[in-house]
Amino acid sequence: MKKIGVLRFPGTNCDRDIIQAVNESGGVGEYLWYQDRVDINQYDGFILPGGFSYGDYLRSGALAAQAPVMDDIREAASKGMPIMGICNGFQILCEAGLLPGALMRNTSSRFIDKWVNLEMISPHQFFGGQRISKGEVVHFPIAHADGRYYIDERELSGLHDNEQVWLTYKDNPNGSVANIAGVKNKEGNVGGMMPHPERALFEWMGGSEGLMIFL
Amino acid sequence: MDLKEKLEHYRINSDEYEAIKKQLGREPQGVEWAIYSAMWSEHCSYKSSKLHLKKLFNSSPRVLQSFGENAGVVDLGQGERIAFKMESHNHPSFIEPYQGAATGVGGILRDIFTMGARPIALGNFLCFGEPHATRMESLVDGVVRGIGGYGNCVGVPTVTGQTEFHPSYNENILVNAFALGLFEKGKEVFLSKAHGEGNYVVYVGAKTGRDGVHGASMASESFDEDSESKRPTVQIGDPFYEKLLIESCLEVMEKGLVVAIQDMGAAGLTSSSFEMAAKGGVGLDIDLSKVPLRDSSLTPEDILLSESQERMLLVCEPGQFKDLEEVFHRWGLDASVIGTVTREEAIKLHWKGELLTQMDPQMIVESAPVYRRPFEKWENKWESATNFTSLAPSEPIEIIRKGLSSIEGCSRQWIYQQYDQRVGGQTRRDCESSISVIRLPQTERSVAVVLGCRPHVMRFDARVGGIDSVAYPALELAIKGFEALAVTDCLNFGNPEKSEPMSDFVAAVEGMSDMCRTITAPIISGNVSFYNETQSRNITPTPSTGVVGLREDFSDLPTDELLEEGLRVFWIRFKPEQNYFSGMWSDEKGEVASGQFNMDIDELANFTRCMRNLCSEPRVKASRMVGKYGLAYSLARFSMAGFGIEGQPGLKPEHYNREDFYGALIATHAEMTQEMAMEYIKDSCKDSPGKVEIIELGQSVRDRIAIDHWQIPCSEIKEIYCNSWRKHFESLA
Repeated sequence: MKKIGVLRFPGTNCDRDIIQAVNESGGVGEYLWYQDRVDINQYDGFILPGGFSYGDYLRSGALAAQAPVMDDIREAASKGMPIMGICNGFQILCEAGLLPGALMRNTSSRFIDKWVNLEMISPHQFFGGQRISKGEVVHFPIAHADGRYYIDERELSGLHDNEQVWLTYKDNPNGSVANIAGVKNKEGNVGGMMPHPERALFEWMGGSEGLMIFL
Repeated sequence: MDLKEKLEHYRINSDEYEAIKKQLGREPQGVEWAIYSAMWSEHCSYKSSKLHLKKLFNSSPRVLQSFGENAGVVDLGQGERIAFKMESHNHPSFIEPYQGAATGVGGILRDIFTMGARPIALGNFLCFGEPHATRMESLVDGVVRGIGGYGNCVGVPTVTGQTEFHPSYNENILVNAFALGLFEKGKEVFLSKAHGEGNYVVYVGAKTGRDGVHGASMASESFDEDSESKRPTVQIGDPFYEKLLIESCLEVMEKGLVVAIQDMGAAGLTSSSFEMAAKGGVGLDIDLSKVPLRDSSLTPEDILLSESQERMLLVCEPGQFKDLEEVFHRWGLDASVIGTVTREEAIKLHWKGELLTQMDPQMIVESAPVYRRPFEKWENKWESATNFTSLAPSEPIEIIRKGLSSIEGCSRQWIYQQYDQRVGGQTRRDCESSISVIRLPQTERSVAVVLGCRPHVMRFDARVGGIDSVAYPALELAIKGFEALAVTDCLNFGNPEKSEPMSDFVAAVEGMSDMCRTITAPIISGNVSFYNETQSRNITPTPSTGVVGLREDFSDLPTDELLEEGLRVFWIRFKPEQNYFSGMWSDEKGEVASGQFNMDIDELANFTRCMRNLCSEPRVKASRMVGKYGLAYSLARFSMAGFGIEGQPGLKPEHYNREDFYGALIATHAEMTQEMAMEYIKDSCKDSPGKVEIIELGQSVRDRIAIDHWQIPCSEIKEIYCNSWRKHFESLA
């Protein structure tokens, strides 16, 4: 059974949901506090949940990226351990320099909560693995105000060349460059996405394809 | 200030001034003015409504806590309990919509977690004026952003809402926030009753600032032309702080470090300290110079009246303070001891070594004035009424087009898409649905929330509207298989010093209470918002409700729309002979909406039970109330997902042009024959003999509605419904 460290910053609010998702997929989720140091060898991977860390002060994710626990996450990333950031977690990973690009205010300037269709461009080696194959379309909810993915053109072509684009929106809700909803680092062990797979675990939630991301 | 100016400044009338002098045996001095002003304001003392609220039906074996605490608590029967409440933030939201609405959400959340329950659902009941009324676009925008800005950040899903538009709200919008919290098995309920001589009085959360000073008394008077100048009385919220407060307060409660706890809401520290002491029959010795301040120039009076947000007052044992402080520090919050609990029943307020005043909390709280405001007793003017004119278009297709494109009948997606509806991972039905449904974590059971009150019915008749505020949401729950457990209300009315608004208040409250008693769903919490009056114009009386239901099994719920072919669609009508009411098809004042009406609430309660039996089984695949625009509009809404209805029921114009008060559309399983379906419905309705008419409308088909001689494509319905909002609010699209 795999053990996943679930990071909690002040203002994180999808932490309980991630624990539910990890448990449903047969793993064990354990909270990690932002001020504590972590023995990374105790874990098989890490998830940074969504929310409003530090109330989105300064910029979404900017303050959390400086928290003590992030030093350990950087070390885990460099050792090739699986790390995933969802929504605010994705913003934090970008701010921490572990993922390329940045997340900006939606073009509508408003928070958007809705179900979207996503195309799998390049599966993550751990999160979801081959369960969702290339080209397959899945249905997850989004819920964010700062979800417009931005990266300059030169880096964008690098993303495509290295197969770092994880998921794209079928119908771009927020103005993201190249419809990008999720990306990975060059090595492929760190990934981030704006949509919430943990809100699509069961049919009663409105869809169950998200469970595959946690298996 | 001379006496007259003082009375005006503190909003105390001359009779109250005399009563205060009698209580004290002398003139009030210094901060005492501020304390009386706050505690005796309508907002805190309920002086105009108390007599009537006492009569509310408020108990059942499930009710563990009713009025008098921060929120009501209901037992769900298997170890879990829920707390819920609804509260108004009308005046601040009109003055400053973003902060007014945001702090409305913050305030109602504190009422819930103060009791030890984790907030798991938010809802909001909003009444706006006409889209083109002065400031209305910015009010709608500000309120929606405020609700989202706060709720999304604290991580509690906004799962339901209702939004009304009417000219009577042009200069006085309504913003009512609902919150529900869950006590998981084994979690304790915390109360605000201070006790234990020598225990510490601890202040936690945000520092005190000047915001919201005199907020409670501001909310207790009507608006005039200079509402603009009242902006400094509106509080500023910080949802990030609230999130930290939620987590830290729940943690100290779980660790058993709390004796009593109360949030600092209306009238801030004054109200929380006096109420905690009065409930516990104890005194508090408080040093105001120990209150953490944002601004060192604050006077003791400012500190007592400040309504700065995200603050709690709690009582703890001295030996446990260190552990308590440690939890708050971990969450980045301060905890400051500002006083102690004393045996003597007196609140002593100190400031820099000086005793400012010593007052008996019981005296202030219990002997607040109670007014018997003049009102006229309700009479049934409808029983024998025969005049009836409907302004509905004559063709069903026109009714559909007009209804779907109107601001009252078009999609609210623009609003709810700005709310996080799924955080927490338990949402089964969100804002898009007729009722919201939250799964109880790790169980097969679900709770549902639906908000009630249809202002157009209130404009027709206050008692009927009061009954309807409970009956309609209870039926919405019933047709999804949920049983209504309990109710919270938010009573928004005009000036209680005038007979008409007061008469409406009494009639509506009696109607609500009678209906609640009949379906055994007690009213367990709520608030009253009077003085919703601007320059002598009163709002539509609006007793909004939050009705909470429970369903024990986890089978699929009937959908709001037809999702497959071959379902048999029935129209189930309750007492059709009484439907001489044109609902939304009336003039602005609702005057054409007259007709015969003598609602028997016992029959209505029976009908509700029958509908719940009917819809609790998987044999019913889809269900929908017929509602304010009548049959044609609800058929259109039923057909929004690409499956319509085909049939030859032989309907007449009167089937379309009036409101079907409590009728519902039901679609039964495709495998049931016509006879089986009819038999099943009749059997379910047998306890409602002679009161129910069942009309088979046809079967579900792809792409269109085709009934008798009219038809319309589903795609057109969807197009009009989804795109009309932006025609009314061009700049908000």
